[in-house]
Amino acid sequence: MTIEFSPNKRQRETQAMIHQFAEGIVRPESLKWDREHGIPHDFLRRIVMMAQSMGSSALGVNRGSGEAEEVDLETRKKRQIALTTILSAEEMSWGDAGLLLCLPGPGLGAPPVRASGTPEQRQRFFSIFEDMSQELRWGAYALTEPGAGSDVSGIRTSCRKDGKHWVINGRKCFITNGARASWNVVFATLDPSLGRAGHRAFVVEKGTPGFSVGKIEDKMGLRASETAELVFEDCRVPEENLLGGEESYKSKEGFMTAMKTFDNTRPLVAAMAIGIGRAAYDYAVGFVKDHYVLSRPIPRYAALAERLARIGRQLEAARMTTWRAAWLADQGEPNAREASICKAMAGGAAIRACIEAIEICGAEGSISGEHQLLEKWFRDIKVYDIFEGTGQIQRIVISKRLLPDLKAF
Amino acid sequence: MIALQPTDDQKMVRDSVAQFAERTLRPRLREFERARDLPDDVLQAAHGMGLPLAAFPEAAGGSGLGVVTQVLIEEELAYGDPAAPFALGGPGAYGWAALLFGGPEQGKALLAPFVGEGAHTRVGAVAWGEPRACRDRGGMVTTAERSSSGQGWTLRGEKAYVLNADRAQGFIVFAQVDAARAWEGLGAFVLPCDAKGLRVLPRLDTLGLGAASFGGLALDGVEVSDDARLPLAGDAQRLAWFFATQGLLVAARCVGLARAAFETTRDYCEQRKAFGKPIGHFQAVAFTLADRNMDLEAARTMVWHAAWLWDEVARGAEGSDARSALLHSAWAVSFAKEAAMRAGDDAVQLHGGSGFMRDYPVEKWMRDAKQMQLCGMTAEQADQLAAAIALGRPIDPALVLPGAESQNVFV
Repeated sequence: MTIEFSPNKRQRETQAMIHQFAEGIVRPESLKWDREHGIPHDFLRRIVMMAQSMGSSALGVNRGSGEAEEVDLETRKKRQIALTTILSAEEMSWGDAGLLLCLPGPGLGAPPVRASGTPEQRQRFFSIFEDMSQELRWGAYALTEPGAGSDVSGIRTSCRKDGKHWVINGRKCFITNGARASWNVVFATLDPSLGRAGHRAFVVEKGTPGFSVGKIEDKMGLRASETAELVFEDCRVPEENLLGGEESYKSKEGFMTAMKTFDNTRPLVAAMAIGIGRAAYDYAVGFVKDHYVLSRPIPRYAALAERLARIGRQLEAARMTTWRAAWLADQGEPNAREASICKAMAGGAAIRACIEAIEICGAEGSISGEHQLLEKWFRDIKVYDIFEGTGQIQRIVISKRLLPDLKAF
Repeated sequence: MIALQPTDDQKMVRDSVAQFAERTLRPRLREFERARDLPDDVLQAAHGMGLPLAAFPEAAGGSGLGVVTQVLIEEELAYGDPAAPFALGGPGAYGWAALLFGGPEQGKALLAPFVGEGAHTRVGAVAWGEPRACRDRGGMVTTAERSSSGQGWTLRGEKAYVLNADRAQGFIVFAQVDAARAWEGLGAFVLPCDAKGLRVLPRLDTLGLGAASFGGLALDGVEVSDDARLPLAGDAQRLAWFFATQGLLVAARCVGLARAAFETTRDYCEQRKAFGKPIGHFQAVAFTLADRNMDLEAARTMVWHAAWLWDEVARGAEGSDARSALLHSAWAVSFAKEAAMRAGDDAVQLHGGSGFMRDYPVEKWMRDAKQMQLCGMTAEQADQLAAAIALGRPIDPALVLPGAESQNVFV
């Protein structure tokens, strides 16, 4: 091993390709998608085609989570799957974070199915993404409820066995791509008093009787991405859709499945936040170059320079912790603390970047326009310190790792 | 490739320094502070391990281990006692300046006395700072003028904030050669400590880093020969390199200090009880610990990144460039320095009243952290440097280089 900081050739090529795509094709459409609350399927189909034609590593973001099988450690190390994914995610979000969330594929549903699904389930639920030339498909992850977010143990959506089916009742909210998904990974409980041991994860397919979509949320930002409420009223799920099969729930597995997902996805979400923050930072740097007379000593200049530097370095700090968390994942080493660290740092740093970029640009910064996306990024970024665990939740996770005797506050 | 694990060789070096820091430095840090010095046995041990020469090129008598290895060493030393790396002696900043401003040949000659038998008693120093800003132009008050004979130079003025001024056998002194060219008209001159007209000013009492020595020089018509001048000192870019690399080494020490303060405080928060449970089990305390842990992890990786970039520049790697190394150093410097200060501050805070007492090391680390922020390069100067690079602007020496106009630092 060694200490090195240069992405390999394939990673650099992927970054460059996504960057070009983000700048030339995504950004010009970004504001329109935001206003129209979605991205035309034709556009998404083009991306899917492009990714296929460019070979496996193009748009590595989606691919990293699109594989049915857990790859073995040697392959993971060699291909640096987690690192490649976060490098791509930063670049893609620099273009438009909403687009990344809209990309067809299993999305956040992939990690639990891959980690906990039986071979038959993995085959069944992943194979639908192999050919999307006619129809785009999504997977989704449904954990949050009106009464339980980060405190997963508080979920109240219930499940009970009835013959060869499970009957699910309850509501899930804030589910990315939940309405359009071909299947949702849904977490429910046999009995809240059993705690984690009572949790079960199901793959609920579109069209399952008793499953319907509630309201589609009207959000502050990330408006191109669909966020749905899911309603389960005596929803009958076939028993073969219980993730992992009944045997696998002898332990705390249900809860652990949810948590494993977070260790994998927190660095990814951190990288997305950094991409948005960097977009704002780059814009502010360009604005200062164009608008401030830098050739003569303006008193404000030094203060402004310091602000820019602070934004830049906080993003870099977040990026370094994100690389570290992803690198550990690729090494097959535990990274729960590091994953929470990068998520907390990235959310904070990127929000500051977006807020300050607007201030630096003055009134102009708040005006929405074709080539002026600051106000959009400002709206998009806030949720990055909320979803996938708020900054406060990350600090709870980190604290527990630092203080072994600390079980709960 | 992206990889974040030291090589086996680097681990060996790091582990042996860590052992030295834990067994020899940490238990005696109050002794060093009271003595205002490191004792001979400690100096011998550190020099025996080759620590002061680790990063210097083999051609110049160093071990050629590179900047990455050096920052690993600096972190461990500072973890033991933040003052130790400042007080170890050896060529230090003098060596870096000799190579950077003198070039490989002159650098090698100037480093020679620091290699081999008795090296642990030898100390080099750089005299950069001055007590007052130059009022009528950029640059320095201290001047170097052509001697009346037309050969050699005569130096006049006062230098301040010199690390190891009273311990050094040799100095590299910066002075104004060409007033019209302001910062670009600086020269650097090598002086022995017994040069005629050179007077070492009394050692200063400082807030922190007590085992290190900070002082100044008075130059009252010191005569030096032509070959005492280092040829490459009048280049703002190169001066920025010098301060960025010196700042980076201090940043690595900041990481070591932050780690020491964090670990000690975490342990304390697990033991100290209030209202029936360890204080670490209160969220206000636990979140503070989490924040300092985040700082620490980020600062370390940033320092590694910048160090790796300098090693890439040194070996002429494809695609490497000094501006990128400068930018990442600047980021690492300002982040790590502020992180260390937060670590020291919170360490005292979470220790409560005990933290204020000298029974615990945390009050020392808090003082040391502030002192370290004023060594090498300040966070503010590093920010100006980072912004200049980001904006594609020329580096403005008045904003980026330490000085009475921006902030003076100990070099």
